[in-house]
Amino acid sequence: MSGVYEGRAWIFGDHVSTDQILPGAYLDRPMEEVGAYAMAGLDPSFAMRVRPGDLVVAGLNFGCGSSREAAVMALKQVGVAAVVARSFGRIFFRNAINNGFPAAIVPETSGIRQEDRLRLDIAARTLTNLRTGEALPLRSLTGTSLEILKAGGIVPYTLRRLERSR
Amino acid sequence: MAPSAMTLTEKIIARAAGRESVCPGEEVWANVDLAAMHDSSGPRRIAGTLDRLGGRLWDPQKIVLAIDHFAPAAGPRHAEIVKLTRDWARERALPHFFDSAGVMHNVLLEEALALPGMLIVGADSHTVTAGAAGALAVGVGATELATVLVTGQIWLRVPPTVLIRFGDALPPYLTARDMAMEVLRRLRADFAIYKAVEFDGPAVDALDLDERAVLANQAIEMGAKNGIVPPTGTVLAQLGAPARAAGRPLAGDEGASYEAVHRIMMAGNAPLVAVPPNVDNVVPAGTLGGVELDRVYIGSCAGGKAADLRAAARVLQGRKAQVPLQITPATARVVRETLRDGTLQALLEAGAILQAPGCGACAGLHSGLLGPKERCLSTVTRNFPGRMGDPSAEIYLASPLTAAASAVTGRITDPREFL
Repeated sequence: MSGVYEGRAWIFGDHVSTDQILPGAYLDRPMEEVGAYAMAGLDPSFAMRVRPGDLVVAGLNFGCGSSREAAVMALKQVGVAAVVARSFGRIFFRNAINNGFPAAIVPETSGIRQEDRLRLDIAARTLTNLRTGEALPLRSLTGTSLEILKAGGIVPYTLRRLERSR
Repeated sequence: MAPSAMTLTEKIIARAAGRESVCPGEEVWANVDLAAMHDSSGPRRIAGTLDRLGGRLWDPQKIVLAIDHFAPAAGPRHAEIVKLTRDWARERALPHFFDSAGVMHNVLLEEALALPGMLIVGADSHTVTAGAAGALAVGVGATELATVLVTGQIWLRVPPTVLIRFGDALPPYLTARDMAMEVLRRLRADFAIYKAVEFDGPAVDALDLDERAVLANQAIEMGAKNGIVPPTGTVLAQLGAPARAAGRPLAGDEGASYEAVHRIMMAGNAPLVAVPPNVDNVVPAGTLGGVELDRVYIGSCAGGKAADLRAAARVLQGRKAQVPLQITPATARVVRETLRDGTLQALLEAGAILQAPGCGACAGLHSGLLGPKERCLSTVTRNFPGRMGDPSAEIYLASPLTAAASAVTGRITDPREFL
């Protein structure tokens, strides 16, 4: 993990649920196929238009609702580099970290516009809007969650824990 | 120095982490008492991860698997998932395997697998429902659950606890669902993110396990890590001797500190409805009298329990539903109990359509999904766009009393008209 992610912003609102990020209708699909339906409950064209490296930017409580890990995997599969929000549904947040997918909490996202270029720097703990120059401090990704993210997810992290305990 | 006073959630974490005490904000590794998964989040999603982790289950006695999401299968894809799940359980001779017997969350409570003071981890957001028995029950994703199945451990950040105290008795036209909606109306859908929510007070003490399950269940809609109802009175008696076994905590300490305490009185409150597209968009049912419905749906881990069906029958006894009324009992036991006591007969004579027990349409998978712009009043867990089918369908949430009254008139109706 380099810890620096630079890409275009895709703006979403408050309380985007996992029912919208990956609708139940696609829950019966194999995990490798869910990317085609990323954000299908909100914007069915998203999966076609998003480019690898783009960042999803949202308001409050992003990923609330169902624990479906497919919501994180769908965003990851279409190439979204990271998700930035004012707060996350906590299971979505854990699912993201557990899959080595950065979920960054910042105090405010209303100043960010669609297609703004953003740089998320996890070591520097900032999200910088390259259009305005504004840098926001990160409020997540500390302690155990940062260790898991750095390890590339909970599976490599757990393998290390198991090795150490042997 | 004596350890500082802790809330029930803090005491459960401290015990599970082998610590004398813990404080909000600390991160600990904790030993899990019970790990639960279902056909959607279970074997199909975790098999690969389990292989990478060595494939050995830490303790099959502490693992629960339920087929509840994809049964009855709506098509070959669903049937394949159900079969894969069943085969996986049989190959391992899993002792706690529930095949199409109902929603995992309700089964945990029915079978007394969820007990006070336990740390329960489940691969489903409504795992919090087990907080009704005084357990600390948290939802996780499938991959994290797989790590728990191998190690028996999970890392937790100790949440601050918010106390919701219901100060008076609940009027007969309100249910626990109205209590939960009143919390959401006042405090909104994200007030408890990363927090524990504890419910107590006279109105809570009077609730049976079914009704406490609604409070715990809806904690996830408040954003909470867990919802917990300290076991008291009849529920403690109902849970019996196992509840007191193993030295697990049954209550918080005297003088424990809460991040906030909210006192709520229910007398004088009107029956409530959550208007789509959010769970906290809550208004009195009476203000929505002009809203005509295409369907009424009673079901799910929140609203398909025996208490819910009995409440609906109180209104529907001797009346007729004017719109299609679908009933998905949460579990097979709910079907048996409501068959015995006459509840099902009353509902069916009122015109209700009885469906197979399980998650039903609440998971958006089968059994009566909603089409474009269709409008449904429902007792399911949440009303997010697309939850029960098409994203443009409208899901109004309410108590089973309000759902039944609305089925009788075909529009959203305050149940006091019929009680």
